Amino acid sequence: MEEFDGEPTVTWIPGLNSQKKQMCFDWGPGEMLVCETSFNKKGKSEMVAGCPFIHIIRKDIDVYSKILRKLFNESHGIFVGLQRIEEELTGKSRKAQLVRVSKNYRSVIRACMEEMHQFAVADKDSASGRQFSSQVSILSAMELIWNLCEILFIEVAPAGPLLLYLLDWVRLHVCEVDTLSADVLGSENPSKHESFWNLPGNTQTLTELELRWQHWHEECERHLQDGTFASDPRLESLCKVLLGDDAALLEQKELLSNWYHFLVARLLYSQPTVKPMDLHLYAQSSLDLFLGGESSPEPLDNILMAAFEFDIHQVIKECSIALSNWWFVAHLTDLLDHCKLLQSHNLYFGSNMREFLLLEYASGLFAHHSLWQLGVDYCDHCPELGRVSLELHIERIPLTTEQKALKVLRVCEQRQMTEQVRSICKILAMKAVRNNRLGSALSWSIRAKDAAFATLVSDRFLRDYCERGCFSDLDLIDNLGPAMMLSDRLTFLGKYREFHRLYGEKRFVDAASLLLSLMTSQIAPRSFWMTLLTDALPLLEQKQVIFSAEQTYELLRCLEDLTSGRPLCAEPDAQQLQEDDIETTKVEMLRLALARNLARSIIKEGSLEGS
Amino acid sequence: MGEMVSVINTVDTSHEDMIHDAQMDYYGTRLATCSSDRSVKVFDVRNGGQVLVADLRGHEGPVWQVAWAHPMFGNILASCSYDRKVIIWKEENGTWEKAHEHSGHDSSVNSVCWAPHDYGLILACGSSDGAISLLTYTGLGQWEVKKINNAHTIGCNAVSWAPAVIPGSLIDQPSGQKPNYIKKFASGGCDNLIKLWKEEEDGQWKEEQKLEAHSDWVRDVAWAPSIGLPASTIASCSQDGRVFIWTCDDASGNTWSPKLLHKFNDVVWHVSWSITANILAVSGGDNKVTLWKESVDGQWVCISDVNKGQGSVSTSVTEGQQNEQ
Repeated sequence: MEEFDGEPTVTWIPGLNSQKKQMCFDWGPGEMLVCETSFNKKGKSEMVAGCPFIHIIRKDIDVYSKILRKLFNESHGIFVGLQRIEEELTGKSRKAQLVRVSKNYRSVIRACMEEMHQFAVADKDSASGRQFSSQVSILSAMELIWNLCEILFIEVAPAGPLLLYLLDWVRLHVCEVDTLSADVLGSENPSKHESFWNLPGNTQTLTELELRWQHWHEECERHLQDGTFASDPRLESLCKVLLGDDAALLEQKELLSNWYHFLVARLLYSQPTVKPMDLHLYAQSSLDLFLGGESSPEPLDNILMAAFEFDIHQVIKECSIALSNWWFVAHLTDLLDHCKLLQSHNLYFGSNMREFLLLEYASGLFAHHSLWQLGVDYCDHCPELGRVSLELHIERIPLTTEQKALKVLRVCEQRQMTEQVRSICKILAMKAVRNNRLGSALSWSIRAKDAAFATLVSDRFLRDYCERGCFSDLDLIDNLGPAMMLSDRLTFLGKYREFHRLYGEKRFVDAASLLLSLMTSQIAPRSFWMTLLTDALPLLEQKQVIFSAEQTYELLRCLEDLTSGRPLCAEPDAQQLQEDDIETTKVEMLRLALARNLARSIIKEGSLEGS
Repeated sequence: MGEMVSVINTVDTSHEDMIHDAQMDYYGTRLATCSSDRSVKVFDVRNGGQVLVADLRGHEGPVWQVAWAHPMFGNILASCSYDRKVIIWKEENGTWEKAHEHSGHDSSVNSVCWAPHDYGLILACGSSDGAISLLTYTGLGQWEVKKINNAHTIGCNAVSWAPAVIPGSLIDQPSGQKPNYIKKFASGGCDNLIKLWKEEEDGQWKEEQKLEAHSDWVRDVAWAPSIGLPASTIASCSQDGRVFIWTCDDASGNTWSPKLLHKFNDVVWHVSWSITANILAVSGGDNKVTLWKESVDGQWVCISDVNKGQGSVSTSVTEGQQNEQ
């Protein structure tokens, strides 16, 4: 069932070198853990010290390169811009825009390459210098491939100009071509060459061009036949080159650095108006002739060949295999998809190749402490599977600072990812409670809309109040607003604080009503009733009558309710007895105060106003 | 697919005997390990460092597995051991201590797995006595136990929870009201079977399905994380050297079909899905860990071999491999 074009990469883990032991492993959020073990579980300890090391391994360490980070950041901007290109644009203007995007990507690669090259040169003799050099060659290869794809797939150069584009392509990437063209141009028939290269563009059709070239070609051939250059073997060989003679070209192999250079040279001299669809024939034969059976094609060669064959899927597949980072295939595939060049390739997972690659790339970004934000955008632009991928990744981002947590939350809230919001807020609330930051814990539970946790935190607040006699985080509690409704306990906390405020403002009647309502509405937990009734005492002892008769009856009822429900201890110890004593005294005091208030209120209400 | 893999940190656990399990916490900042030396250790591994945070003693035999609970419950770790016990450890005010001990099994407990956090704090435990127990935290330090006796004849080797799927619409539930989750998990045992279990409305667990394909003891099962599609996926591996990928396409969850990933020439002990479910890691008895991924054309492809090395590494070797490709 498994197929692969080559052997899978083997990664060697150092130090695990016993023949008898096995490797145990598991996944972390962004890495893998590996260690030595013995799976065959025996009950007894083996009494042989195993290797105590656990190795943490990770892929995609490119994410940590400072220079590549620029590549990731800038290409992200280009990617997002590309997604927004107007769908309505068709034909030439759309194509022009897509070509521009492609060129932008390439310039980003080149900028990165140049920077890395400077590091490589500065650090020539060290291991890191060598690493930079190798990165530079990888980036160079990437740009080479991208450029070719731009010419063949995006620019879609038609026959004729195709060769010009390919010439530019080779010239850009291979310095030696200049030497060859200098040789050619310095030959005996410059005028013939100049007239040939006088391509004005629109005033000549392809057929006219082809005719002129044929005429010139025949003339050269005649000169060769007539032995015009017989006296000078060099000139003769040059003439053969101009006629596109393969053998003659190959003799100049040192000047041609690779087979695609050879290909373009051949085309230049034998098929300058080569049609795109015929390109692959010349490409294959160029590769074969150039290698001459001495060496086999390298991955880069296979990729370029696939491009010459216009097999986009093969290009992508080969690039995925050859390159260590998803960056290249993800962005190139996305661009080609915008050019409407990819047939939807249905995976088992039901998504298409573009999303598959973009999400692979985004996965790597999430492992990074700040690049994760770029990952979010890539997920956003994958309509089928992006959201789920984002949900899985965003929860694993370590919330190291409050600022980072807020950023992550904003991302989730903007996308209505309510489950993730809830989960993250709960985690933060929990952390806050553990660090005794109750105000913070309360805000997080409100944001999480977590009633249970809000209750828990409110209880802690109330407990704190009972112990210390004052509230912490007053600002927060005073400004709860509608959030107060989240849980009964929270509502009670808010209202209880309001009672204290009213009392402080000497608005005794309002305070009294509120206090009573807290009990009668059952919002106050029974465990707190004694405290509330005790809070009522100063209101009962005021010179003026604050509680009305009816209110006093209610208070009495609450008190009776509370005292009648008291469980009897089986065997009260000394402390219990002492507590009971205090309780009894309190209750008695309350009863007395309430009775007195009742009397006063009845008298007050019975008398005429003002008397 | 040519992914470059590098060792970024090596933690010296100082375990005095064989290590049986190592687990990263949710964020990759802490590492828990357990060993035949009967201890469970916790390390802080941020920024490539390694700081021993706790050395937990309490088991009286080799400890087989550890599992981190979801961070919203705090820092909680479960461990299971040959001593027939499951211990739940919790970090309180900066120190780790034993929060609960479960001794309801008659034989070694081989596997522990925390349920999706949406269900609360629930731990499934599989034992060599053939039973599976489910511990649910009910508050104030109390844990409720439900036991499935004779889940697998001879013994149960692995348990793995299905990802939480919210039934019905995704509309916000009014606060305080818990949505009705359909809780499911998979278990693998010495009866060569994989069983799927479902919680009924009365709170009892019932065997919903039997998945038969292995011809020897099932050593591990792993339910893949949800990637948003109606399909469910389970990986299983066995003494018979085979690894199967089971998929169920219909919403009712009734027809499971196995696909053979590979037949190894030795016992396969352990399978594990990466967090985003697109890579399956498989251990072989041949001292390798292979990574498998579903490729563009729907085939499962081996993308990497993580091998034990002879002596020192490493960067040169991986580079060499790169050039060959």
